Amino acid sequence: MKKKILAAVLAAMMVFSLAACGSSGASASGSASGSASGSASQTSYKIALCMSHQTNAFTIAVAQGAKDKAAELGVTVDVFDGKQDQATQASQIEQCINSGYAGILVEPVSVDGIVPAVKEANEAGVPVITVVQKMSGQDQYAKAYCGGNDEAAGETQMQHVVDLLGGKGNIAILYGPMGSDGELICKQGYDKILAANPDVKVVFDETANWVTEEALSLVENWLSTGMEINAIVAQNDGMAMGALKAVEDAGLQDKIMVFGVDAVDDALQAIADGRLTGTISQDASGQGALGVQTMVNLLNGQTVDPVTYTECVWINKDNVNDYLSK
Amino acid sequence: MKKQHRVSFLKDFGILIVFLVLVIALSIISGGTFSSARNAINILKQTAVNGILAMGMAFVIISGGIDLSVGSTVGLSGVVACMFAHPAASGAGGQYPFIVPILMALLIGAAVGLFNGGLIAYGGIPPFIVTLGSMTIVRGLALIVSGGSPIYDVTSGFEAIASGKLKSIPYLAFYLIIVVLICAIVLNKFTFGRRVYALGGNEVAASVSGINVKRIRVLVYTISGVLAGFAGLLVASRTITGSPTAGQSYEMDAIAATVIGGVSMSGGSGKWYGIVIGSLMLAVISNGLDILRVNSNYQLVIKGFIIIFAVLMDIKGKAKKT
Repeated sequence: MKKKILAAVLAAMMVFSLAACGSSGASASGSASGSASGSASQTSYKIALCMSHQTNAFTIAVAQGAKDKAAELGVTVDVFDGKQDQATQASQIEQCINSGYAGILVEPVSVDGIVPAVKEANEAGVPVITVVQKMSGQDQYAKAYCGGNDEAAGETQMQHVVDLLGGKGNIAILYGPMGSDGELICKQGYDKILAANPDVKVVFDETANWVTEEALSLVENWLSTGMEINAIVAQNDGMAMGALKAVEDAGLQDKIMVFGVDAVDDALQAIADGRLTGTISQDASGQGALGVQTMVNLLNGQTVDPVTYTECVWINKDNVNDYLSK
Repeated sequence: MKKQHRVSFLKDFGILIVFLVLVIALSIISGGTFSSARNAINILKQTAVNGILAMGMAFVIISGGIDLSVGSTVGLSGVVACMFAHPAASGAGGQYPFIVPILMALLIGAAVGLFNGGLIAYGGIPPFIVTLGSMTIVRGLALIVSGGSPIYDVTSGFEAIASGKLKSIPYLAFYLIIVVLICAIVLNKFTFGRRVYALGGNEVAASVSGINVKRIRVLVYTISGVLAGFAGLLVASRTITGSPTAGQSYEMDAIAATVIGGVSMSGGSGKWYGIVIGSLMLAVISNGLDILRVNSNYQLVIKGFIIIFAVLMDIKGKAKKT
């Protein structure tokens, strides 16, 4: 009897997890399907959007931007969650090829991991456009890239840090997962600015893996050492918020400026409240929308630019009200 | 006779010796930064969540089971607590009384614990499988309930739960001490505690001697769940955010703390002070290595070796005793 129950539970779990993988797209689409309104030449394309994950405000904003644009254009977008695993994403791309999607938008979990699946898509005649992050062999396999320019974001952020410090001071850097694209390319931007400003010294730099609590503990420990820090520069808002909390707990908010990237809601509110010094918006929802628009243009037979960057905007107290959603 | 004493002493206090050596070494190498008062307070703050989770995990492991769902419970309870902690001004229909988010977090923990305990005790399904399943279910629920984004904008009262201090000793330290003391008393002085050990030591004997095995099981998983709910509340208050992905792999650290502290994975043994040392050790390693600017990847390797070393000592200790 026990064995039967065990077998039933295991079977149910397997079925459930398969269903979750397969149907995550269907349950998330929610956009208008092929309505007759709009130009006569507008076919109701079925487009797939394979995101690396859907567990933070940024990636959710990208997907929402894509869905809103799709509704506007009269096409369908189905969103797939790659659970930050390259094998899962590769399977999802393959599934999409088989399900007959007209085009596939991908936010790569890993630049190399999706190459075989994208090659297959090309062989099957299904165009692939990358969003948010590029892939290996971008020019060879993907028709276009629509997204943020992480290096420009890093440069813009670091330039403002340097300016606000008056060209000299000690800074601490919080990276995303080491070796991930977001981290590497953004760091290139940082390195450029830091090379031109030798009086700004990096006294601490370490990864907090995009996680708020990890950043909090890390910064707490840095502050313990008594080493003077004038600014903390984080590669995303999630970590910036953790760093901010540690700084405030130590009563050092007047002595240490904190900077983030992504312009998510809680960071924007913190800027409006005068706590966070600034963030960089890479227009997350704009990236999603741009991806869909470019795919539709491509499917309609127009030529598209191989690279389209969304605007990278520095947000601080002066312009934050333009970006707050409430 | 002397050799037996020495071995038993090593098993009980060996880990304490390792801990003290580590603390002294870190103090010397860091030139006093590690042993500063401010850093000691940081370590206490950083131990609190894991320590509380580890005490709950101890009940479960001593009873012969395992609970993989606590990390996910931390996420879900934090999310739900924050949803009830918005200030009146944010227009979500007014402010809830202060006690509401706290109760919600504990209730969520209890619900998960009851679910686990019920299926394990009455469904006869192995704990590893049930809690593996609930780990996934609860994480999914956290993502659904929060819509995938962290919940923010909480009252300063909510923030004070984990961030406040009494005469420069953080509240977190008090919570940890209180939870540890209560668990220690229950494990050692209450009949229930003895029964938990008995169940883990030999289930058949326990059952035959009249212990209601099913009820004990449900209770230990509920305790683990409630403590995980409390831990989730503290994480959310400390970061002033209810993140659906909070607590990821916290169950692994809780298990590590109990194992380092000498709790045997096969159940039936383990002392409460061992768990405290285990948890402190993990916080000390991470804090000390951060101060020494050791790359976080090396920290993982070191942590792993210490866990294995602790289990080795446990196995050797057991072999010598029989």
